[in-house]
Amino acid sequence: MTRIPSSGLWILVNIAVLLAAIGGWALFSRSGIVPPAFFPGPGKTWDAIIKGIENGSLVAETGETLLKMAYGWVLASLVGVALGAVIGISPWARAYVAPMLEAIRPLPASAVAPVAIVLLGLTDTMIVALIAFGAVWPMLLTTVHGFANVHVRLGEVNRALGLSRLDYVRKIALPSAMPDILAGMRLGLTIALILTVVGEMITVQGGLGSRILLASRRFGAADIFAGVVLLGLIGFLTNALLGLIERRVLRWKKR
Amino acid sequence: MKSIRAFAIPVALIVIWEAIFRFRDVQSDTLSTPSRIVVALVQGLGDGSMLTATGDTLAAGGLGLLLGSVLGVVVGTLFGLVPVVSRGLRLTFELLRPIPAIAIVPVAILIFGFGYAMETAIVAFACFFPVTILAEAAIRQVPPRLSEVSRALQMPLAARLFKILLPAALPRLFVALRLAVGIALIVAVTVEIAANPMGLGQRLMLAGSSLRPADMFATLIWVGLLGWVLNLGLVKAQHVLFPRMAGSSDAAT
Amino acid sequence: MIEVRNLSLDFGPTRVLEDISFDIPAGEFVCVVGPSGCGKTTLMRVIGGLLKRSAGTVARHGETVKGPARDIAIVFQDYANALLPWRTAEGNVSLALEAAGVAKSERQARIHDLLRRVGLGNHANHYPSEMSGGMQQRLQIARCLAQDPAVLLMDEPFGALDAMTRQRLQDELLALAADTGVTVFFVTHDLEEAIYLADRVIALAPNPGRVQDIFDVDLPRPRDQLATREMPEFLKLRRALFEFMQAFEA
Repeated sequence: MTRIPSSGLWILVNIAVLLAAIGGWALFSRSGIVPPAFFPGPGKTWDAIIKGIENGSLVAETGETLLKMAYGWVLASLVGVALGAVIGISPWARAYVAPMLEAIRPLPASAVAPVAIVLLGLTDTMIVALIAFGAVWPMLLTTVHGFANVHVRLGEVNRALGLSRLDYVRKIALPSAMPDILAGMRLGLTIALILTVVGEMITVQGGLGSRILLASRRFGAADIFAGVVLLGLIGFLTNALLGLIERRVLRWKKR
Repeated sequence: MKSIRAFAIPVALIVIWEAIFRFRDVQSDTLSTPSRIVVALVQGLGDGSMLTATGDTLAAGGLGLLLGSVLGVVVGTLFGLVPVVSRGLRLTFELLRPIPAIAIVPVAILIFGFGYAMETAIVAFACFFPVTILAEAAIRQVPPRLSEVSRALQMPLAARLFKILLPAALPRLFVALRLAVGIALIVAVTVEIAANPMGLGQRLMLAGSSLRPADMFATLIWVGLLGWVLNLGLVKAQHVLFPRMAGSSDAAT
Repeated sequence: MIEVRNLSLDFGPTRVLEDISFDIPAGEFVCVVGPSGCGKTTLMRVIGGLLKRSAGTVARHGETVKGPARDIAIVFQDYANALLPWRTAEGNVSLALEAAGVAKSERQARIHDLLRRVGLGNHANHYPSEMSGGMQQRLQIARCLAQDPAVLLMDEPFGALDAMTRQRLQDELLALAADTGVTVFFVTHDLEEAIYLADRVIALAPNPGRVQDIFDVDLPRPRDQLATREMPEFLKLRRALFEFMQAFEA
């Protein structure tokens, strides 16, 4: 995971570069390489954001997007970790089930969207189901890997100490698998955001995805950019948040 | 013995699925039976429609892959060679990276309309960031001894780059390519599902909305197969081209 | 009291241990030496219940060993892998007490007592990754002692440590063993360490592993790193063991 350099000078440099990049954006927009009506600059984008916040629409839609994303991701996490633990611990399950899972992995989750629509219609439930389906795979697979690869020695310590099965899972296997599980959850988060946007674009019933698609139909480029900025922000912040949690949970790792 | 167990459950599920539909004579607009799906798949391939759609998706996706990867390698190499640039741009890069490629679709529609160009642009955007990161890592991981030697020999930058650094980074760049190919396929199909009326994604959506579930599932399976075959091909190529690369597992997500 | 009778172990077609018999009375300190691959670690693991024997018996107090027992503590050679990296020193020792069902209120006192005994009293809140190799090995020993074991099985526990730390831990181990009266089964490739620590030394010959000789160590206790190692009896045993090993160098 790349980290932003934390020394004071470099923070300033990065901010300066960012401002320069925004300036570059403004120049590009005005240059006419792409018609400015299709590629507004930072100023117009900012105006659109403010307007959206003031009339409440942007806030409401961001909330909708976040809610769907959260439901889907949490559902996927619960199923992924629980199922992954069960499969990961049992060599029997691994032999019979894991190859099947590996085979489904390369399937793009978004390709399942038409199936989801057919089964659940153009509803928010469909979107949450789609998100959960797509996000569960990295979590499931990394969890299986984590539980299956508890160090041999720890397994022997477990036997020597005579821990119960439940205690083994709680005190040894789960913490041991945690780095893998968290990595999977982070991947799942990225997938969740993508599928939320895809779902909202297809159903056009609310949320930022719908907003930007509708905006494109009426050539409201500034609104599109406003939505894209917010989506990028959601991606950035959720990832950063999870990264912080990850660092806290895994603080025992060698610095 | 191992492979038998791997197939046991899937085969059992397929048989049960088929049996339920046959014995209860279920007619469905939304689901289909394995046998009908296979028929639909064969038909789709036979009448060329599946292949046309595949060609469209691969063309747009491939072009986007090329564009995004080349740009990614160029920028990643720059980042790797001149760490100052990399560190300075870190914040900007990290703010742009989490933007889902699919969110750029409406912008691309405005600029390019529907069709190949729009899809290529989105795929390129999606491939650019991961390839840049991996390319930078690949250049950084070239053993310092090699760069020192090239500098001691006073090679001009171009020669240093093309004769020593890039060849040394090639195995890792290939892994980046594998990842990018996967991303390109997924993003291309996703763009087609969400907005672009062409290719396999559109075929999927049309089959679903016109209540042809066998066709829909057949296309879905085809997409999965496509991704699997592409990845397998690249893994094999990797083993042939870079036989001594350790830890090049295709379990890397 | 550990009784090993005609113990044999096969890994597939290969016989790894052959017809091994000996007794270890309670409280005795036994060392096992032999060239690499002779099966001394394997023998220890069988006694610990981690491996199943192919023939013969291993019994404790007359009862056959069927699996790991809570009062047999195993100190592994790769200490880093045997500790829980996500728990502090305190947490690691606590694991053994939790497994034994010790009430939470009692645990604190016992944990700190054990940590103090192995010299980690000030490191209760440190993670294994923050400790040196010697400290990690001591932590593992502390956790093993928390099991209140009747038997301590140790697999080359000091092998990965530097000479100074090794000598210090040898003396600490001897003191602990004398204090608690625990039976110790100590595997090592260091012949001098074996003589220094043991009441008896079992010499295992390889391919397949079998007991070639059992030496009584007639040296006074408590042992001293300088004095004991210069005694004639020590040197005599040293020569005997070296000659034993020589036979397999060829």
